[in-house]
Amino acid sequence: MNTAMVIARNTISEALRKKILNAFLMVGVVLIALTFIFQQFAPRQELTLVKGMGLGIISLAGLFITVILCINLVPTEVERRTIYTILAKPVRRYEFLLGKFFGALGTLGINIGLMGLAFVVAVAVKQIGAENAVSPLILFKGILMIAMQMLLLAALAMFFSTFVTPLVNFFLTMVLFVIGNLSSYTLDLAKNSQVAIVKYVLLGVHYVVPNFGNFQYTNPLLQPDVVVKNETLFLTQNCAYAVAYATALMVLAILVFDRREV
Amino acid sequence: MLREAFAKNPKLAGTLVPLTAAIIAFQAINDRDDMRRQPAIEPKSVKTAATASFGGAGLPFEYSLAALSGFRQVIAGLLWVRSDAFFHSGNYDAILPMIRLITWLDPNWLDVYATGAWHLMYNFTDTDQRSDRRYLPVGLALLDEGIANNSKVFDVYKEKGWNMFDKVRDYNGAVKAYQGALANDPDAEINQVAHPLAHSFERAGMVDESIAAWDDAVKRHEAWMKRPGITDEVKMRNAMGVKNATKNRSIMQIRKALRPTNIAALGVVDTDFHVTVTRTKSKVIKVEGSWNLIGSIKDTFDAGIFEADGNTIKTLGKGLTLDGPVNGCRVDVRLQDDGYKMPEFGSFSFEVDPKITLMQDIVTTSGGRQVDAGGAYVATPRAGNAEAVAESAKVYNLAPKDQAVANGVPVAQALTGAVPISARGQWQLVTMAYPKAFNAYPRYYTQAEIPAMFAKLRGDAKTVAEKLTKRNVHIARKGLYAPGSFRREIDMSKDPKMYGFKNDSFELILSVNPRTAPDFVQDRIGWNGEGWNDRKYLDDKTVPGLRMIRVRVPLTKDDILGSGEKVLFKG
Repeated sequence: MNTAMVIARNTISEALRKKILNAFLMVGVVLIALTFIFQQFAPRQELTLVKGMGLGIISLAGLFITVILCINLVPTEVERRTIYTILAKPVRRYEFLLGKFFGALGTLGINIGLMGLAFVVAVAVKQIGAENAVSPLILFKGILMIAMQMLLLAALAMFFSTFVTPLVNFFLTMVLFVIGNLSSYTLDLAKNSQVAIVKYVLLGVHYVVPNFGNFQYTNPLLQPDVVVKNETLFLTQNCAYAVAYATALMVLAILVFDRREV
Repeated sequence: MLREAFAKNPKLAGTLVPLTAAIIAFQAINDRDDMRRQPAIEPKSVKTAATASFGGAGLPFEYSLAALSGFRQVIAGLLWVRSDAFFHSGNYDAILPMIRLITWLDPNWLDVYATGAWHLMYNFTDTDQRSDRRYLPVGLALLDEGIANNSKVFDVYKEKGWNMFDKVRDYNGAVKAYQGALANDPDAEINQVAHPLAHSFERAGMVDESIAAWDDAVKRHEAWMKRPGITDEVKMRNAMGVKNATKNRSIMQIRKALRPTNIAALGVVDTDFHVTVTRTKSKVIKVEGSWNLIGSIKDTFDAGIFEADGNTIKTLGKGLTLDGPVNGCRVDVRLQDDGYKMPEFGSFSFEVDPKITLMQDIVTTSGGRQVDAGGAYVATPRAGNAEAVAESAKVYNLAPKDQAVANGVPVAQALTGAVPISARGQWQLVTMAYPKAFNAYPRYYTQAEIPAMFAKLRGDAKTVAEKLTKRNVHIARKGLYAPGSFRREIDMSKDPKMYGFKNDSFELILSVNPRTAPDFVQDRIGWNGEGWNDRKYLDDKTVPGLRMIRVRVPLTKDDILGSGEKVLFKG
């Protein structure tokens, strides 16, 4: 695992060299601007807009960073033929893959963490003197869910990157992200379907496709009246779902990459 | 490739079995609880009918894609910002599809229901700012949808209660909405829900229920203040709530006790309602009339003495001691398709039937005045409201035309014996010359005090000059009584979209509902009009137990659309 960690560190360093943190800077500026541009609204509405937009922007930035970063990690090494140099050393394939994955996660963690921190600080400043203000720290729960969603998405992109080209990977990952966000629909459609085969196909889709919609936690944070019955269970099991699914995807990725000719 | 990989690494491949089981188990747990799933774009409460009448408003592709990708709140927020821009540019029609989309994207955004219903029920108006009341059922349906999607929070119930109270003036409906808030949300804001519930009971003529509701509000405030960990601000708000609720409970108890007494002591008022409806030109009608609008005269209502807390009643007073013509009661004027009843909408749709014609306006009654022979009046260039000190002495302003009838003399001359000053006149002069302190009890002079005070006034030339002559107070030789009047020209020709007049027959309804009358009028006529009568237009059948003044004028299409002036009704 030490080898994997070395590769992960290198991956992070490389990503930072590519000025990936500029994304954070841009988002940070937008987040600060957000706290000023909705001042024509009533305070409660303004705060709803600021929080909703802020979490959305972090999520959107996270989505693009994740997809663009992860679809290229392995193919770039193959294309540049640097992978031969690496694998010629005492580095196993799974260590290489895990190193790349952890590197991607580290890069994402730094970005989402910094964006989240900037966002929470901006909201806290915005809320100074506000009546019945809800602690801005609860926004970290939403940021955690975004991070978990991106963890799963990163694993999905890494898995595809072991056997398809970056372009195909981009479309596959994005399409599955959209379908995965419709998890409540697929379940509703399955429940309401009168045709048995359609019902089971939809249920299959619901359980097989990563359910990115599970991580939608913005509404309870925006609307304090929307109460999640058991928040701890919700957050914990979604984290566990993300970790379990990402692990499964990485196992598959290792298995596929192990047999791939490079 | 996978088969080979599995065969080569059976141990690693074997880990997929428990991982898959875990994934399915976690997903199954997540599916169990509706609250933890993202809301469907179209909430369950939205029926197919609403979708069918969506009016072609659709989410643009880029918005749809983003919404489907899990960025609903971002899209909802963007649409809300856009709606705000439409609002500021006065493009209200464009806001409606936005509201539809936003409430689908985020069915829990309470402000959108509240603001949306406000737009629908208040902001669609004709050129003269009369609301398009065809949108009332639409607005209520939106609020009902908001309640269905957020049934455990008080906010949308509260909005519905307020709209029922203020706009629809269906006080029983308001009661139901506020009760819904209290029943479903243990954290409902007492000031915003329990207080208006008590007011709604009062307006619905349910006096005992209103008093009980104030009692309940006091208890709720007190219970809230005992909640652990509440902030000073919340504590202060509830303490103020206790004070207000206690005061209002006392006021209701006073009204309950004294309003029947007032009517028994002062008798029933003959409103003598007269109205003339004239078509001045096509789609323009003029409504004018007069009636005796009698109410309590300022500062002469003896509520009684309160305890030191200023809220609780200690000794009940006499009630209304002086009444007379007052301003302020409104005559509702409604022109509608014959037999129109507000439809109930099962689901929100912003389509209204363009064939319906519905106009509602309110006309204020003003200008009622009275002076007895030997009584006082203020001679003014034109009629208008009297100063507070004169009003509290039941001294009216008389314009030159009325002055000619009263034929009075300046007060200084009258005091030298130029005209006799009646007992009422003496009381009026003393009250104006030596006004009582605002916290005196009682606030008015009793007849027993008058002879001595009047004698003092006769010898007090300075006060006469400063308090009476300077105000142009006169003493009348002859009595004068003029009822209050109302007049409004209603132009419906400028808004053909709102007033299509597609039907063949219409009805113009003029009505005065005692339950919507101001307090100082209700003090005289009671909650349900027990204290007034009208030979021609008293209606106690439309709403059982309620004695309204109601005139129904049937009109044909020609009556309204015809050209030239025509008197449509006089009675």
